Parts: sequence; structure tokens; C-alpha cells
Amino acid sequence: MPQGRPVKRAYPALLLPGAAVYLGFFFLPLAGLFRESFRQFTPGGVGSAANAPFTLANYSELLTPSFAEFFLETMRISLLASLTGLLFAFPLAYWLARRLSPGWRATAVGFFVTLMFLSVLVRTYALELTLGAAGPLRPILLGVGIFPNGRGYIELLVAGGLLHYIVPMATLTLLATIQNVDPRLFDAAQNLGAPGWKAHLTITLPLCARGLLAAFLFSFTFSISAFVIPMILGKGRVLFISNLIYNRFSEVADYPSGAAISIVLFAVALTIVYVTSRQLHRRSMP
Amino acid sequence: MRSSSRLVIEFRDVAKRFGQTMALAGVTFTVSAGETVSLLGPSGCGKTTTLRLISGFEQPDEGAIEIAGESMRGKRPYQRNVGLLFQHYALFPHMNVAENIAYGLKHRGWPKAEIAGRVSEMLRLVKLQGFESRWPAQMSGGQQQRVALARVLATKPKLVLLDEPLSALDAKLREELRAELKQILASVGSTTIVVTHDQDEAMSLADRVMVMNRGRIEQEGAPDEIYARPRTPFVARFIGRGNWFSGRVSHPPGKAFARLSTSAGTSLWICAADAVAGGDWSACVRPERIALLGPGAKAEKPGDNLLPGQVVEIINLGAEIHYAVDGPEGRLLVVEPNREGPRARRGDRVSLRFRAEDCVVLPYASDA
Amino acid sequence: MTGRALDNLLRLLGMLMIGGIVCFLLIPIVVTVVMAFDARAYLGPLPPPAYSLRWFRRFFSDDYFLRGLGTSVQLALLSATLSLCVGVATAVALDRGSWRGKEALTSLFLSPLIVPPVVTGFALLLFLSGLGLSNGFARLLCGHIIITVPYTIRSTLAGLSGIDGSLTEAALILGANERSAFWDVTFPLARTGIVCGAIFAFAISMDDVAVSIMLTDANTYTLPVALISSMRANFDLSIAAASVLLMLATLALILVLEKLVGLDRIIGQGVFR
Repeated sequence: MPQGRPVKRAYPALLLPGAAVYLGFFFLPLAGLFRESFRQFTPGGVGSAANAPFTLANYSELLTPSFAEFFLETMRISLLASLTGLLFAFPLAYWLARRLSPGWRATAVGFFVTLMFLSVLVRTYALELTLGAAGPLRPILLGVGIFPNGRGYIELLVAGGLLHYIVPMATLTLLATIQNVDPRLFDAAQNLGAPGWKAHLTITLPLCARGLLAAFLFSFTFSISAFVIPMILGKGRVLFISNLIYNRFSEVADYPSGAAISIVLFAVALTIVYVTSRQLHRRSMP
Repeated sequence: MRSSSRLVIEFRDVAKRFGQTMALAGVTFTVSAGETVSLLGPSGCGKTTTLRLISGFEQPDEGAIEIAGESMRGKRPYQRNVGLLFQHYALFPHMNVAENIAYGLKHRGWPKAEIAGRVSEMLRLVKLQGFESRWPAQMSGGQQQRVALARVLATKPKLVLLDEPLSALDAKLREELRAELKQILASVGSTTIVVTHDQDEAMSLADRVMVMNRGRIEQEGAPDEIYARPRTPFVARFIGRGNWFSGRVSHPPGKAFARLSTSAGTSLWICAADAVAGGDWSACVRPERIALLGPGAKAEKPGDNLLPGQVVEIINLGAEIHYAVDGPEGRLLVVEPNREGPRARRGDRVSLRFRAEDCVVLPYASDA
Repeated sequence: MTGRALDNLLRLLGMLMIGGIVCFLLIPIVVTVVMAFDARAYLGPLPPPAYSLRWFRRFFSDDYFLRGLGTSVQLALLSATLSLCVGVATAVALDRGSWRGKEALTSLFLSPLIVPPVVTGFALLLFLSGLGLSNGFARLLCGHIIITVPYTIRSTLAGLSGIDGSLTEAALILGANERSAFWDVTFPLARTGIVCGAIFAFAISMDDVAVSIMLTDANTYTLPVALISSMRANFDLSIAAASVLLMLATLALILVLEKLVGLDRIIGQGVFR
């Protein structure tokens, strides 16, 4: 009913400081980065020379198999971590939501929030220390036949590092989602004859679709953008795209190439967010 | 009876549009000092828009609004001397009761020394003495309602607006507060406009009721008048319950009454002055004006209507008994007070008797 | 297998998995804490034969780390404050009025959250160098501001959106003008959102690596950058000591948040879109 709803007066002037900061610290720099990605790099210099010609070489270079490999590796490990994260987080969130008393739930939530707030360096270091090649678990791993320096193990460790952030984050997201699902629906399904696992599959899970999608979105964009985790745990053997950008910047000073890779990563992240957001909007169920 | 004392608020041909919808399509009314008037209507009728125009949260597209003779064009809410009791009270959760009540006093420039005294005075008025340091979250709905009322009345506004004042309360509380509200408003001598969709609220609180529909005022008058003599089919249907008969009217020569003949063959006596011959008319008869009599009952006076029927349903509501009676004109509702003595039972054949004067005759409206 | 038996099996598996996950999340933390008190001068297998505070002493006597810590704290305080001012103003502007494109503009202001931090840092470095800004601290400040502002905006917006619109109207009709209504009603009620935003900004700034590593120079660096260089150079336990200290700081921060706001509120608004 189009009656008057409380509408506060607008003060567009308040947007000026924000606009200035974003323009100066974000949008213009990104535009500059975009421009830089098209310039030619002269090896031995720092970045592109002042009057370097425009070229597509930085981008065409990315179409080569070696770059594609990096890209795919990042995607693969990110996807693995995100999906595994959801797989772990959902039962965890369910247990928190439905099986714990409010007191314990608050403590558990506090635990997860603390984990999320914990510095990424601390977590990464902890993982490398505990599970890494030089750590106390080394004899056990070797005994079981796992080579702590092998590529497979390192990939697993990087995924584990990602999981260490993804699981708490996804659990908290899904906790909110599950708490919004009426537990009596599950009871109704059982009342109608479905065994527990089937009731969850057909009732609880679909109702959480939105939350699951949102959790996946966060996890995946976080993973593909990860820098510290692959840097420490990857030991130079596993490189994510962010690490590649940093290498171009710090080791070779090939700014144009770094810029090109950055733009690609940015575009990928943007696309994923856009596509998933569209999905979320379409599923706007109360 | 409208008093001839000064007008507190005057609405002249006010119109308001929201996008494509015409929320108010030319509304004109006045309220005099000391009156309590109700704006009654279903959702979407424009009563809330009127409320917001009076308080100043919206500006009219056309027409003029004057409060105490002053034009309100361009005046913000804080520049008007109007009080608004919000439907859900809108008590400031981060201030205690005293601070809530004092808020208006502070901002309207009351001297600091007098504020505390005025706050206590208002709390006494709403029977919440000693509640100064309580917090809104600690109080029941009824208590919050009273604090909100105290807050509104503290600054002695020229006009008090009540937005669905009793709708958020349960039935028992509603009755209690209704009486108290009326008494408090009378004791303060305030001029009040009650906006509501609830007939009982409107009829019990107001001296004068304005029934609104689709952005216009369809009828205004004392509650009795609105009930007994609705002037449009909408008002007749919105207020109270009714049994409807539709058909053609004829004026038999030499009789004091006219005849309404329905398609089902029933003929009713109606007052001759109510309708001209020819054309389609509807007659509405209130359920409590119908007497439920035995099957052999006879008409007693000229102008008596007698309809046969059979009782199909009886609903005992404690103070009243509702009878659903089927007959040639469909299902009719008869309401009788719950009194001693023999009562009709389900399946009984009965006669329904009502007078020509009990028929409210209106032009036929197809949305029957 | 019957439905019931399958149910029980799945429940058991579920519990085992949950136990496993919790172990996975906890054990590295516990190991780090234990090792930080290791008396040995090298990294050896568990359990440590004796405990001491040597690594903490090492950390506090290392100028390299202490300088980084100082810079980090300064940056965090400064950027959190500036972020807050810009963020609150922007959030208030975004919360008011109803005009088309408001949602799009809000997304635009939250967009730095999607951009990979390395990209943000890189872009800012090129831009600021192009402008001739070579001061390390100033560059870092710019970077920290842009990565923290989305959090202050989002947190404040969440706080503002929880306020009942009729409260502002009540203030207006009682005689307060728009500015009084904001400071009397809106701001106090949004305060938790604002404070939350400030705390988030501080934490994000203290923790940032990717942006800082691009903007740092030889003289100005943050503690995380110092720790990372140390980790790559020699993986010793002074970093474990630093980790324990950071953990304590985080715990303190969480306790402050819990006291002020309550953790359930943070979940509702804080970290996610």
C-alpha cells in the first residue's frame, strides 16, 4: 500500500569525504593499473618506461599453458577448499544450532569468532609449525609414508590453511541460516515417514540453499585472493595468483605483467561475485 | 453538534499523490477546539496519509492545511504544535521514562526548572507515578502506551493525533484503556483526531466520525447517525453488519409506504420518502432491528415487514445470540440480546419482523 | 540398511567429523602456544623438555620486530580513526533518502572487499609513486584506510538499519530539528554498529599483509611484514612468541567486543555481506 513510509531526508554532501577517498585511493589507482597492464615492459627497468608503447603482450602471455597452469592450480585448490569447507561447516553449524544449549552455543560462537579474528600469520605459522616439514609431526608423517616436502602434501597443507579460515567463517554464516529454518519442518517430515537423513536432504538442505551459496561465495573469493597462506605454506612450490603478482612486482619489477595478472584476477573475482549474487537474489525466499 | 468555537485544524481540498496512486483525492474537513474526531476506514483509504500530512512528514500536492489559523505550507514537524501518539509508541529505548517525557519539553523551550515538575504531573495523569527511572523495555504494552500518551500531552499541543491507539493491545486491555483514554483526553480538554480501521475504536472514542474510502471522506457525522443512516453503500457495509435486499421500488397509490420488490419475489415496505419509483435500490436492515418470532406471527402495524425463514445456525456469544436464518432472500442474520425465556432452536421455522423505518435505502451498488 | 541404522551411522560419522574438525582447528594453535615456551634454542620435536621465556625475550629485544610493532599500532589507530569518520559519514548518507541506484552505490562502496588485497596494494603503489608520494608511512596509511573503510561503512549501515524509522519521526514531532534528532536518537542507537566498525578496522589494519607488503619500504614496515620476512628467512620460535602475544591481543579484543556489543550481534552484521 503506497502510504507514506518514514523517509529520512537525504544529505548528499555527506558522501563527499567517502567519494574523495574512494576516488583517490581506489578507483583512480585501479584505472591506472588497468592502463599499466597495456604498456610494454623493458627488462632491467622498473615498471614500464615513461613513454612505453601500448601492447597486448602482457595479456597474450597469460594465455600460455604455464600461466594457465598457475591459474588452474589456484582455482582447483580454492574450489577444493571451499567445497570441503562447506562439507565440514554444515554439520558443525547444524550441531551448534540444534544440539547445543544456548550457553554452550555462545561459547562455541565465541571460539569461532576468535579464530576468525586471529591473525592470518598466526594461523599460517601454527599450521606450518605443526604440520610442516620441519615440525614435530615429521616422524609420524614419514612413518605413514607421506612426504612432507612432496607437492601433494604441500597442496593439501595450503588447502588446510585456507580451511582454517573458511570453516569458522562458513560455520557462523550457516549457523545464522539454520537458525532461520523452522526445526518443526524437520519434525513434520519425519512425522510423514522420512528417515532423518532423507528429511535433511530434502527439507533442511534446500531451505539453506541461500546460506550455502553465500558461504561458498565468501570462501571461494577469499581463497582465490589468498596471499599469505600460499606464500608461507606453499613454500614456493605452490603459487597462487596473488603470489605470482607479487613475484612479478618484487623479483622482476615487471609491473605491466603484474598489472595484467591483477586485472585478470580482479575480473574473475568480480564475475564470481556477480554471478552468485544474481543467484542469491533470485532465490530471495524469506 | 459542532461547537461554534474556533477551528483547530482546517483541511481544504487536500490532494496527495504517491507515484501513480492518488492517496488523497480532495479532502476537506474541520475540527473545532475540544472535539474528538475519528478518521475511520480500511487500509489504503488515505487516513494514514492524512495523519502524515497533519504531522508534517509529508507535504500536500494540492490544497491547504491550516492549524489554529496558521498555514502549514512548508512547515516541518518540529515547527508545528501537533502531538502524535505512534501506533507502536516509538518510545526512545535508550532513554528512561522521565527522559522520554521530557524530550518534547526540552526541545520546545520549557524552562529547565519546570521540566521535572511537568514530568511528574504527566505521570500522575496517566497513573504511572514513580515510574520516572524505568526503561521502556521493562514495561508492559499498556504501560508503554501510557508513557507515550504522557509524552504527547506534556507539551500541551494544540492538536493530538492518535494512530490506531488500541490496536496493539489485547481485548481486555483495550476496553480498560479505551475508557481511560477518553477520560484523560477530556480532562486535558484536548482536540483529538483518532485514526483507525476499527469501528469500535472510532465509535467509542469520537464525538464525530469521518468514514474514508479511496482517498475521500464518504460520510461524516455522530456515531449514531453513521450507524443508523449510512449515506453510501460503502459506509453501510463498512459500519456494522447488515442484511441486504435489492430490487425495484414502486409507490402504490394511497399508501404511506413504498414497496421494494426483489427478484426472488419478496416485497418489503420501505419509507416512501427514501426512494423514487423506478430504478434499482438496495435496502439494508441491521440484524438487531429484526425480531425473531414464531411461524404464525402476524404484521401488527402498517409498514411491518414479515419474512418466513428457517433457523440453520445459532451462535451464542455470551451477551448476544446470533441466528443465521435461511429464506427466499438467502441467509439473513438476526441478533438478539441473551435473555431469559424460550429460544428458537436449529431447524425451527420462524418469522422475521422488522419495520419500514428499519430499512436503510440506498442506490443499488453492484459490489454486493 | 534400514533408515534407522543409516541415521545412526550418519550421526556417528557426523560426530567423528566434527571432532576431527575441531581438533584440526585447535591443535595447531595449541602446539604453537606450547612451542613458544620451549626452552631449547632450536626447533625440536614435541614435547619440549623444559619451558622458558627465552623466545619472548628474544622477540622484545629484537629491534626489527619492535619497530614493526610500533608502526603497526600507529597505523592501526590512525587508519581506524580516519576510516571511522569517512565511514560513518558515508553510511549515514547511504542510509537516508530513497533514490534509485542507492543499492548500486552501496555495493560500489563495499567493492574493495571483493578486490584481492594484492591488487589493491599494487594499484595504490603505482598511483602514489606516479604522484611522487614516496613516504612509506603515508603510503601505508592510504592503503590501510581503503581496506578498512568498507568495514566501517558496513558496520555502521547495519547499526543504522536496525533503528526504527518512527523513532526519528517521534523526535521530529516532539520539537527536535533534523540535526538534534540525529544526535539524540540515531547516533546513540547506532553506536554499537559504529564501535564495532572501529574495532574491525583496527583488527584488519593490524593483521594486513598483502597490501602492506606492496606499500612498505626499507624504513617503514608493519609487524606482519616483519614477521613474514622472518618466517621466510629463518623459521624460528620467536615468531611463535609473537604469535602468542597476537593471540592474547585478539582475545582481549574479542572480550571487549563481547562486553560492548555481544557476540551474537557481530555475527549478524560483522564480517559477511
